Amino acid sequence: MKILVADDSKVMRQIVIRTLRQAGHGGHDIVEAENGRDCLEKVSSEQPDLVLSDWNMPEMNGIDCLGALRAQGSQVKFGFVTSEGSDEMRARAAAAGALFLIAKPFTAETFNEALDGLLG
Amino acid sequence: MTLAPEVTDVQAIVEQVWSSFLGEEEPLLPRLAEPGQFAADEAWSAAVSISGGWDATVTVELSAPVALSLTRTMLGLDDIDDAEDGDVADAVGELVNMVGGNVKSLMPGPSVLSLPAVAAGRAAHPSGAAEIARFDGIWAGEPVRVAVHAIPQP
Repeated sequence: MKILVADDSKVMRQIVIRTLRQAGHGGHDIVEAENGRDCLEKVSSEQPDLVLSDWNMPEMNGIDCLGALRAQGSQVKFGFVTSEGSDEMRARAAAAGALFLIAKPFTAETFNEALDGLLG
Repeated sequence: MTLAPEVTDVQAIVEQVWSSFLGEEEPLLPRLAEPGQFAADEAWSAAVSISGGWDATVTVELSAPVALSLTRTMLGLDDIDDAEDGDVADAVGELVNMVGGNVKSLMPGPSVLSLPAVAAGRAAHPSGAAEIARFDGIWAGEPVRVAVHAIPQP
């Protein structure tokens, strides 16, 4: 399976990829994007099975990227990995079509709970 | 008077974020420090602002050795010399993003979290900014500070 990791922080992309491995999901193809616009383009060019995206990014943020994807008719599985884990943010994420929101800092267990059943 | 987060909540957030990256090596412990200039000869700092339902700036200050250790751990580098300025900026920026995002979740909304701004130096605040919460810590003998300042209103 192919997973697209979108975050403007290289550090955070590396941590997400490392945590995926720790959670037992290390065997998948990983594609990286630096912002929402890059993410949007790579969903089209790479056809990932799942997008793990930060919320706050320059150029285009994660929620706008998700909105653009759904407006284009893409149903790609999408989840947020963000420092803002309030009820309000979770509601906004769900309303926009996200399957989950993982709040930072996170553990491998948090990843497992969110991804359970989503990755074959 | 601006609504302020509880210092105990700020401390809990910083400790939680810290333990997920550096806590296995050494714990981050609270330390008594006077307000005023951050006590480190060489420092890195970063800031995020929160605006909307609540307006404030969250800053982190780390002595240079802490910033390098944080970068090494977050990037999984074997050798600390491999860390470039951009890597340290990424790591310190992500630290303030996580602390700021969690502080934002405690306070009235809706509000927006800015992107982090990072500097190779201690933090400086405008003359009208009022410190409303501060956590001073010590990690491996080096100082760490997280502060929340109310943004001066016109």
